[in-house]
Amino acid sequence: MLKISTEEIKLITKYIYEISGIHLDESKKYLLETRLNVLAEEQGCFSYQDFCKKAKADATKVIERKIIDAISTNETLFFRDTGPFELLRHKIFPELIDARSSKSPHLKTSLKVWSAASSTGQELYSVAIVLQELLGDLSKYTIKLSGTDISDAAVSQASSGKYNKFEIERGLARDKLTKYFTMNGQTWKVNDQLRSMVNFRKLNLMLPFTGLGKFDIVLCRNVAIYFTLEDRKKLFNKIADVLEPDGYLIIGSTESLTGICPRFIPKRHLRSIFYQLQ
Amino acid sequence: MNTMTILIADDDPVIRKLFEKRLEKEGYNVTVAADGTEAAGLLDTMPFDVVITDLVMPGEIGGIELLNIAKEKNIEIEVIVITAHSSVDTAVDAMKKGAVDYLEKPVNFDELFLRLEKISEVKALMKSAGDLREAMDVTESSAAQTIQDLEIINSHLLMQLEKLEEILSNSHQDEYSRIEQALQFLESR
Repeated sequence: MLKISTEEIKLITKYIYEISGIHLDESKKYLLETRLNVLAEEQGCFSYQDFCKKAKADATKVIERKIIDAISTNETLFFRDTGPFELLRHKIFPELIDARSSKSPHLKTSLKVWSAASSTGQELYSVAIVLQELLGDLSKYTIKLSGTDISDAAVSQASSGKYNKFEIERGLARDKLTKYFTMNGQTWKVNDQLRSMVNFRKLNLMLPFTGLGKFDIVLCRNVAIYFTLEDRKKLFNKIADVLEPDGYLIIGSTESLTGICPRFIPKRHLRSIFYQLQ
Repeated sequence: MNTMTILIADDDPVIRKLFEKRLEKEGYNVTVAADGTEAAGLLDTMPFDVVITDLVMPGEIGGIELLNIAKEKNIEIEVIVITAHSSVDTAVDAMKKGAVDYLEKPVNFDELFLRLEKISEVKALMKSAGDLREAMDVTESSAAQTIQDLEIINSHLLMQLEKLEEILSNSHQDEYSRIEQALQFLESR
């Protein structure tokens, strides 16, 4: 395996930061080596310095994309941490639907949800399942569920709605599994109805959110932890800009916005916290 | 040591006996069934890690039906189907339906043992990943409670500070009444 020098760690972590905003330090040497070794060798590089140079020079950005796929963490589950989904089901969706339908009773009630780091899609499909079970007949609503992620590989898997048995068996109860997925060999595929509710595309959270529109609910869970404090501040400020005035923000259960974005006020419901604009 | 429990379903008593003998010698915990119906009944009464079934068996429950029943019972049960050389297509069909592997007759036991070892390794890895995730969940939920409490307390304190600042910097009142009002506010918290 290619060894990485201290100098090279600096070089490559700087490059990764530039292309993705993911902040890694010297302590992540092992992670860099195990995740990038195959790519470096695939490119016929004899050092990480060489590899970094090659990636920067690649106008097709193929190497850049592969590095992002390799370095981003796609740990996710259907209904990972039940708290947020209980929150959506029992508090946020009912409140929002009430507010929206009383405001314009003659229009279809519209709900816009954004999963800001959707990874391989499990979070957004879980939201779709919650909505489907809560509302039943969805024809009375205009529902827009958007997922974005920095990794092309993650976005493409999310869009395909296909999961292997290891990905699917955890977190998803048997009745939901058979109701919303179809098995084909060792793969489970999400049913068309659920698939048609969601939309995934690539987005680097470090860049401006132009053309994204406004959202009633933003889920931004367990992604800001990979960013520097400065970048977290910028990120949550931009999220505040795309959130409807009475919208809801949900972050990871061990994350905090203290000292990061004073525009958000934390509120508690049962065992979960959500944020709303001041 | 092989600790997996294996259910064999085959209508040929000679093959059944052979499977039982060879697998037990390897240390596996083996139960045999003479057809699909008996095997399905056994699946109801005890847990199995692996089901090895002949594809063609007399009665209402054949290999494919048994595969479906086993997967319905518990998705983690791995099913290996045994097939005659001429019916490899059916075996491939079985794999599409969730079987982990197929073996052709006559069964090569060395090959079977290798596949069982692989299954056992995967199950051990799954268990270990599951344990790690469980440990992560416990740590995460306990940390989450602490962080959430602090987040709420912090937000309350910040709002109170703002309020105090507002009271104390109110230029329409003299200093004495500002302090008095501030003290009242603090007492009423």
